[in-house]
Amino acid sequence: MAGKDKQAKPDKLGNFTAQDAPSYEDVLQCMRCGFCLPTCPTFALTGRERSSPRGRVALARAVAEGKLDFTEAVKEEAFFCLDCRACTTACPSGVRAGEVMEVCRSQSHQQQPLGHIGKSFRHFILQRMLPDPDLLEKSLLSARLYQRLGIQWLVRHSKVMKLGPAWMEKAEGMLPDLEAPLRPQLPELTPARGEKRGKVGFFLGCIMTLMYPEVSRQTVRVLSHQGFDVVTPKATKCCGAPHLNEGDRQTARALAQHNLNLFLAADVDYIVTDCAGCGASLKEYEELLADEADHAKLVSFRSKIRDISEFLSEVGLRTAELKPVKRSVTYHEPCHLCHAQGISRQPRELLRQIPGIELREMKEASWCCGSAATWGLKFSEESQQVLERKLNNVKQTGADILITANPGCQLQLAWGVREAGLPQEVQHLMELLGAATPD
Amino acid sequence: MLDKPILESLIQALGTKAVVSETEDLLVLGYDSTPGLHHLPDVVVYPTSTEQVQAALQIARQHRLPITPRGSGTGLSGGSIPIKGGMVLCLNKMNRILEIDEENLTATCQAGVVTLDLFNAVAEKGLFYPPDPGSQKISTLGGNVMEDAGGLRGLKYGVTRDYVMALKCVLPDGSLISTGGKSVKDVAGYAFKDLLVGSEGTLGIITEITVKLIPPPQDKRTFLAYFDEIRIAGAAVSKIIAAKIIPSTMEIMDKATINCVEDYVKIGLPRQMAALLLIEVDGHPAMVAEEAEGVERILKEVGAAEVHVAKDAEEAASLAAARRTALSALARVSPTTLLEDATVPRSMLAETFTLIERLTEKYRLTVGTFGHAGDGNLHPTVLCDERNEDEMQRAHAFYDELYEQVLAWGGTVSGEHGIGIAKKDYLARQIGPGGVAVMKRIKQAFDPEGILNPGKIFAGDQE
Repeated sequence: MAGKDKQAKPDKLGNFTAQDAPSYEDVLQCMRCGFCLPTCPTFALTGRERSSPRGRVALARAVAEGKLDFTEAVKEEAFFCLDCRACTTACPSGVRAGEVMEVCRSQSHQQQPLGHIGKSFRHFILQRMLPDPDLLEKSLLSARLYQRLGIQWLVRHSKVMKLGPAWMEKAEGMLPDLEAPLRPQLPELTPARGEKRGKVGFFLGCIMTLMYPEVSRQTVRVLSHQGFDVVTPKATKCCGAPHLNEGDRQTARALAQHNLNLFLAADVDYIVTDCAGCGASLKEYEELLADEADHAKLVSFRSKIRDISEFLSEVGLRTAELKPVKRSVTYHEPCHLCHAQGISRQPRELLRQIPGIELREMKEASWCCGSAATWGLKFSEESQQVLERKLNNVKQTGADILITANPGCQLQLAWGVREAGLPQEVQHLMELLGAATPD
Repeated sequence: MLDKPILESLIQALGTKAVVSETEDLLVLGYDSTPGLHHLPDVVVYPTSTEQVQAALQIARQHRLPITPRGSGTGLSGGSIPIKGGMVLCLNKMNRILEIDEENLTATCQAGVVTLDLFNAVAEKGLFYPPDPGSQKISTLGGNVMEDAGGLRGLKYGVTRDYVMALKCVLPDGSLISTGGKSVKDVAGYAFKDLLVGSEGTLGIITEITVKLIPPPQDKRTFLAYFDEIRIAGAAVSKIIAAKIIPSTMEIMDKATINCVEDYVKIGLPRQMAALLLIEVDGHPAMVAEEAEGVERILKEVGAAEVHVAKDAEEAASLAAARRTALSALARVSPTTLLEDATVPRSMLAETFTLIERLTEKYRLTVGTFGHAGDGNLHPTVLCDERNEDEMQRAHAFYDELYEQVLAWGGTVSGEHGIGIAKKDYLARQIGPGGVAVMKRIKQAFDPEGILNPGKIFAGDQE
């Protein structure tokens, strides 16, 4: 399995280092049928085989077989991959090219270390800021100040981050109007309303609390209205997705270990998140910690994780009290929801259950929006092309609201819609459900 | 590594972006879907017009570079693998549909157009391009023509060859020939078009293709029949044909295939059954009703365990889509999937299944069989591990013995995948030294210097 950590294994595979390498089985599994090709945004952009899932797995295989060093080009492909996982959905053979590339990102830091400034910057972001919610919020003492500081940071380190030419304008334009972070405001326990149906732990993601506090406020309100006690542990740390994304699997493991213990101790029936990226990452703890944590604990943790739409659809939405919302909507599927977690049906079910809502399907709903964590900033030109394809499909629906379910997509789409002068509002599914939920 | 001047002249003719020679690019342009075959080219070019193909061929010829054409690399016999190195001519950027002629019912497109894109484009105009190889979402028209690809609808609608009306083709010396046209009848001289179809890139490089279109069927009915024994499924196929019913599709999957496909698609296929048949009849509603009744009756007569009818077009499409994943889904089970393309006269189908079962046991292998049962075209697939030498030897012995019998029954070693590298020896057995000698003379006439896709179909004189 790609996600499995090979740190305990002494012998290395070909030209990979021993730690955090793909297994030979992972790359041998690909029989090169090419079913992944038409689903890959970077192959659609370039038409270049090495920028396709099949090509990337073949490169990894060549490294594994000692036919190729872990070269600069392999590293480039590892980071050019959007990690959208559309290829995983498309692959009948069960190859997970996205995960192989994620592990290759870790390899690239081992084999092609950054220079001093790059290292310390990466260390600062991934190992100091993100794992420490207090520090994250302190840098947000004044929202406006953060907005300026955030930009200054990026300015100072643009070369190190290898950001694309138009990144600054875009980064500035993408930031929503910031409110105070949600984490300090949410009570540890928000009690259920009406007939109680259970107790859920709410995993509040970093981007949600910092950039979309109103969305997660609605998530908690909806959960409570649906009859669930909502426990939001203040000590929740970053899920580790940015670390996996940047190839820092060590820190990701430490964060995973912390969150695992925290939520298991909270004794909840389910652990729910409204961030598709966090959900995908939480569901991968089982593999990430396979060599470190108690197997039973991992299985128990994994069995409780739900995306909010998955959860509400599973327990059944109580619709009796919902207020009608007379709007037409279209739904963009976040990659980390539909491809990484296989959740496509549930958000649509919920949308159809809101009285007054008309759901208009867009073409290629599950095609990436081009955000993909920092990819949209690193490859701003390519990201723009991926975004345009998405916006064309949005436009054709003529819907009032563009719904999605992940903060990364929401940032990118809100910005794109504004830049393109499209009339659509962009909302998280939970904002819409919140609007239908009575006070 | 290629000499600098050759690289420079290619760049001058095609542009910097269209010429690729980095190791990492070469590594991923020397394979297709055929297991175990891989060879590095020296350079890869991406022409975007017929003129650029001509220019690339002229440069290659000047420098005696072998030329191997490539579409999406989904071939199953190694046709696009550059076993002699040289230049890979990647045609997937020549992907424009040039014309859909609604008066003559034809479509003309560049060689790199993806099969399903053409299907969708003509469907929008109420027309139908039937050939649908398993990889239609990825494969290119050029590749389909070069390998004469079949598909799920082959039984009633035929294969790629049956739809090719005209070809534009660049010869190894860079000259251009056009053959065929939009006239439905054409007996002027030798049928070059028919010679080029299925020639696997050994005679010329196809750059433009005109295909025949037909009106789509007005109605269809899709059945899924389950069987306790695979032989009964074989008998059902023969009986349906003998009853003069020609379904558009009659596909088979054995137990191993059913389980692998179900692991992927999760649509509730019957895991415990020995085989299933996916049958579709289409055409005028009155005919569909009559044929559907006939199919259902025969399925019951032969003793199918269960017969289901797809409730709507969506369900029918999801069943066909599931079937298309069969080969790739079988790859879940083992690192290596060796697939063959044996085709027998349809009356021999039940015997062929019995033979496959016997040989599977004899050589102690795991085999998943699926295929176009209605065409007598089966894909027995050995699920193995290329690192296990003994197992690989047994797998080859399995195919040797299988093909010997298939040929004795008047069958063929390739129904639709082509000969490529993988089946040169089997072809020689099928057509004999006389047949090979004629093929070589034809090759000589088109490509006297032997630079086009060398090492394919038959062994070269030096080998």
